[in-house]
Amino acid sequence: MSLLIVIPFFSILVFNLPFLKTLRKAIFIWSIFLFLSQIVLSCCSISPSFLTKFAKPLHLFNFNLNLDGLGVIMLFLSATILLFTLIVSHSFIKEEKRRFNFITLLLFTLSALNGLVMVRDIFSLYIFVEITAIISYVLIAFDKDMRAMSAVFKYVILSTVASILMVSSIAIVLLLTGDTNFTVIYEALHMSGVNPLMMLALSLFVCGLFIKAGLVPFHGWLPEVYSYSSASVSILLAGILSKALGVYTLIRVLKNVFGLTSQIGTILLVVGTASILIGAFGALAQKNFKKMLAYSSISQVGYIIVGLASLNPLGFIGAVFHFFNHSIFKSLLFVNSAGLEKEIGTTDMAHLGGLSKRMPITATTSVLGILSAAGIPPLAGFWSKLLIIIALFVSGHYVYGIIAIFASVLTLAYLLSMQRMVFFGKLNEKFISVKEAGFSIVLPAIILGAIIVGVGVLYPLVFKALILLLA
Amino acid sequence: MILNIFILILLVIAALWMVMTRSLLRSAIGLALVSLVLTIIMFRLSSPLAAVFELSVCAGLIPVLFISTISLTYPLSKQEMMEHFKARLRRFWYLPVLVVIVGVILSLLKIKPDITLPLPESAKDVRDVLWNLRPIYLIGQIIVLLAGAFGVVILFKDSKKDEH
Amino acid sequence: MINNAYLPLSLTLIIALPLVASALVLLIPTRWKSIKGLVSFTVALVTLLISILIYRNNFSFSFPWIGFGLDISLRLYPFSAFIVTAAQGFAVLVSLFSIKFMEGREHEGQFYSYLLITLGLTSGAVLADNLLLLLFFWEGLLLVLFGMIAVGGKEAFRSATKAFIINGVTDLCMMSGILLAGYLAHTFIISKMNLPATGLGALAFVLIMIGAISKSGSMPFHTWIPDAALAAPLPFMAFVPGAIEKLIGIYFLTRITLDIFKLSAGSTLSVLLMWIGGLTLLFAVMMALIQKNYKRLLSYHAISQVGYMILGVGTAVPIGIIGGLFHMINNAIYKSGLFLTAGSVEKQTGTTSLEELGGLGRKMPITFICFLITALSISGVWPFNGFFSKEYIYDAAIGKGLIFYVMAALGSFFTAASFLKLGHAAFLGKLQERNQKIKESSVSMLIPMIVLAAFCIFFGLYNSVAVKIFEPIVQASYTGKETHFIFNISPMLAAITGIILALAVLNHLLGVKLGKDGLHASDHIRNAPIISWIYTKAEKRWFDPYEIAMKLLKVFSAILLWIDRRVNWISDVFMVKVSYSIGSAIRRVHLANYPVYLIWGILGFAAVTLFLIH
Repeated sequence: MSLLIVIPFFSILVFNLPFLKTLRKAIFIWSIFLFLSQIVLSCCSISPSFLTKFAKPLHLFNFNLNLDGLGVIMLFLSATILLFTLIVSHSFIKEEKRRFNFITLLLFTLSALNGLVMVRDIFSLYIFVEITAIISYVLIAFDKDMRAMSAVFKYVILSTVASILMVSSIAIVLLLTGDTNFTVIYEALHMSGVNPLMMLALSLFVCGLFIKAGLVPFHGWLPEVYSYSSASVSILLAGILSKALGVYTLIRVLKNVFGLTSQIGTILLVVGTASILIGAFGALAQKNFKKMLAYSSISQVGYIIVGLASLNPLGFIGAVFHFFNHSIFKSLLFVNSAGLEKEIGTTDMAHLGGLSKRMPITATTSVLGILSAAGIPPLAGFWSKLLIIIALFVSGHYVYGIIAIFASVLTLAYLLSMQRMVFFGKLNEKFISVKEAGFSIVLPAIILGAIIVGVGVLYPLVFKALILLLA
Repeated sequence: MILNIFILILLVIAALWMVMTRSLLRSAIGLALVSLVLTIIMFRLSSPLAAVFELSVCAGLIPVLFISTISLTYPLSKQEMMEHFKARLRRFWYLPVLVVIVGVILSLLKIKPDITLPLPESAKDVRDVLWNLRPIYLIGQIIVLLAGAFGVVILFKDSKKDEH
Repeated sequence: MINNAYLPLSLTLIIALPLVASALVLLIPTRWKSIKGLVSFTVALVTLLISILIYRNNFSFSFPWIGFGLDISLRLYPFSAFIVTAAQGFAVLVSLFSIKFMEGREHEGQFYSYLLITLGLTSGAVLADNLLLLLFFWEGLLLVLFGMIAVGGKEAFRSATKAFIINGVTDLCMMSGILLAGYLAHTFIISKMNLPATGLGALAFVLIMIGAISKSGSMPFHTWIPDAALAAPLPFMAFVPGAIEKLIGIYFLTRITLDIFKLSAGSTLSVLLMWIGGLTLLFAVMMALIQKNYKRLLSYHAISQVGYMILGVGTAVPIGIIGGLFHMINNAIYKSGLFLTAGSVEKQTGTTSLEELGGLGRKMPITFICFLITALSISGVWPFNGFFSKEYIYDAAIGKGLIFYVMAALGSFFTAASFLKLGHAAFLGKLQERNQKIKESSVSMLIPMIVLAAFCIFFGLYNSVAVKIFEPIVQASYTGKETHFIFNISPMLAAITGIILALAVLNHLLGVKLGKDGLHASDHIRNAPIISWIYTKAEKRWFDPYEIAMKLLKVFSAILLWIDRRVNWISDVFMVKVSYSIGSAIRRVHLANYPVYLIWGILGFAAVTLFLIH
């Protein structure tokens, strides 16, 4: 298991050795191989017997790693989205050296995300969060676009604040319990009962993660970062990076370290609902495809958090399922926006229109993504939203449940108006000669669309697998 | 004890200087100073591994990176600096007010940190926990460093070439 | 006999084979459309053979499907085996008939495909041992019904819509009834259900009953059948309303009165069923009497005969139920036989309007003989099958109240009268100019008719065979009361029946005298005072619940439209404006600099901390 971290890392080292420059051309193939094998591995891990075999710690290094169902889902998602990012980036980054650098960064990301998923100790968790964050700064600024630079500056500042909060929290925890291991902390905290210092630690850590996840009111950095970063990077950011940094870590820390109490549930409920609403309303007023998707991201992450806040197992499964779905459909939509950026050069919706005739595949897959985001049956997004809303009602949070349904309508409203402005209606004369985006963009879009439909249609099976994984 | 307090005061002074100074160069040097003081503290807390790490990375490598980057920029004139200062004042006049308000609220709430330390029986030494038992920290640290260095190289190296 | 190990497979095959074959039929290119009929004939024959092979087994099996209580569980026992076999037999005959009849018509391939789907779904619905699974097949039949009528042509689409809406509404009732019953019984497995028909159970019973009797075409849900008769292809009429719908409608009605609910004789629900049956048989036959179209006349009889079955089953006494079931299979036999004779006539003359027919008996002797046998059966003449089943029903009805017997006897009188009129107008009398050159139909069309006519005689002569078939079904529910049933035809009732039939003949002779020919033989009844007023209104569809509902719906929709416009303003104009202004306010806020975001974050952190520590 530790190989999942070590192999990408050592391959970076090998490829960057100065005397092995001839080897550098193989990095593309090698990384595709790495991503694919991780996908296969995580798919196999759905069967519990394989998982236990696979998760048996390899005593090569004394790493204290562990893998559970949530981790398997994360491994699958990170490898999938990295793979698609790599494929999409192939048509954006043409220069040999820059491409090499970009792929190296992706390998860094893989190694960091795998570490983030598997560590079982709070300080290592923090370290891997930091690695992921640093790589994401570099990735966002990769094009050296001035707007992206200014966006990433805001991100760095806020993210650093988040890191400070988290480190202080870890310090307090270490002071209280004397260890950084998840289980040790969990037991110590539960024996000692409630004390204000521990609550301070909890608040510090959770707020740090809220900033990383971009939840209202900690979300200021998010819209600009998502919309100004280059096309392939925004797929990675929206699809997995910020989710893994914020949401996955939040789930992990709350479940394995601090415990989901009703107090923290209330906070999550308020923060999540605020994110759902502000994200949705914010998206409604946007005139740029990518910016709209960024606000929509805030809103969808809100759903995940609200599902978590319902504090029952159904809500937890719904939250993880929505996490998965959101990663898939949001990266699909960003892949489509990459297609637009590539073929037309702008994602400003006022200038677009009628592109479904010229770019049929992009238009169709984007409809799939939109309907899944808005929760229309039988697509994947419908089921996860349904689970979350049912969980809210089960826990007695009727008002929040109704708000969630209402915001789902808003989601449909803004995404459909986007679809109409971009793909339907009259074709602008300027775009009469526009062609369908290249193979490297269309292929990921089709595969992601197929995942959405497949997961939606085979929902009973998926649900069983999820219960098996998360129980 | 007195020595400890003295070192801590030194740390605060160095940090303040680093934040307050107008010159980026001095600020970077200030950062190195802070790290240096921190290293001393770590030595005194008898964790030499951490101290060495801090010294080499935070006091050595990072300021070097900063200074080399700063050398590529050009300074503002006095007048421009004044304008920036005034604009900043205009924009953030409410910050001190906010701090006062939060302070008042906190004091009104009268939070009494009734702290009892529920240390477990088999509590290990903190240094032991942080450095000796977890080789994954080291791998993590190395990845952080490499990633940071790599990022700085690909983001700033080319622009240096452009200028020369 | 077949090895037990093959039973699950054969049950699955019975359902799946027609469904798969129907897709294949659609895939066969139009160039080879002549083999489509052959394919459906073969498939029906194969399934028939399978079910004959496994007929005597008593067997049930299930395997999980979607979960949530919806498993595929099938059960073969004498009753379901009989219904399935009968349905397959009809499918064989009708597809054989259609090979010639449908030749050269539009949508030929679609017709066979629908026929096979109907067969598969029917088998599924009958074999299902789970109410939800049954509902699944049942709803499938509804869709096929729509398609099957709609292939008739442009006019047919309207009828198809009507059939769809009426059956859709009643199926909805059935669906809620099934859910209610499942809720009450805590299971959807039919063989485990046993509910009292009181309180909520009574409501569930009535809801399910509405679905069942509407499927079999009882009043007041019958009005689509006469409309469909003119529009849909004739083999469809022979197969679906003639045979299949009676089979599964009455099958399910019997299941709910015998197994799922325990309906006791003389209870309110039983009386309700009997009234529905009685009124249906009487009114429908009155309408049949005055029809001037071969197909339409038959279709009203298809409704009227259902009345007998519902009356029989509704009595909830063994003899009545056996009579009802016996009548169900008899009716399926002679009614599809009659529809097939109509098809034979339509194929040869190109019309089914009685005004253009007459004297066909000499030109088409075999068709005429088949018509004669089936018509005598439906009129209840000894020794044909209809006589025996009707006598059983009379016997049960007279035990429950004279009024029911009177209705049934009156219905019998009008049935005989209308068939005298039909036979006279179509096959006797003067041959029309335009029909001088017609010939007898081809062999493949005659065989099904002959087979059905032969069955009419067979079940008449050996009526004890039929009683033996249905005995175990009823016995299962009456264990401990009567171990064996012996039914005798009461001589007095038989004598009265004879008198009624004689009266019908007399009435016909009177009608012919008054109306000058066979076609107008019923005009004296049509023009009788009071009755004529009712007839006029009925012809204007005053009593058609569909038309009434549609008129009400128009008023209702106008009101709704007015409300909708008002609501629309709120949702379309007001809400959108509000949403957009909130949105743009949020957008303006987000054009800030990082310290502002930082302050939001810090304030949020302060709030969270305060909340947690307090």
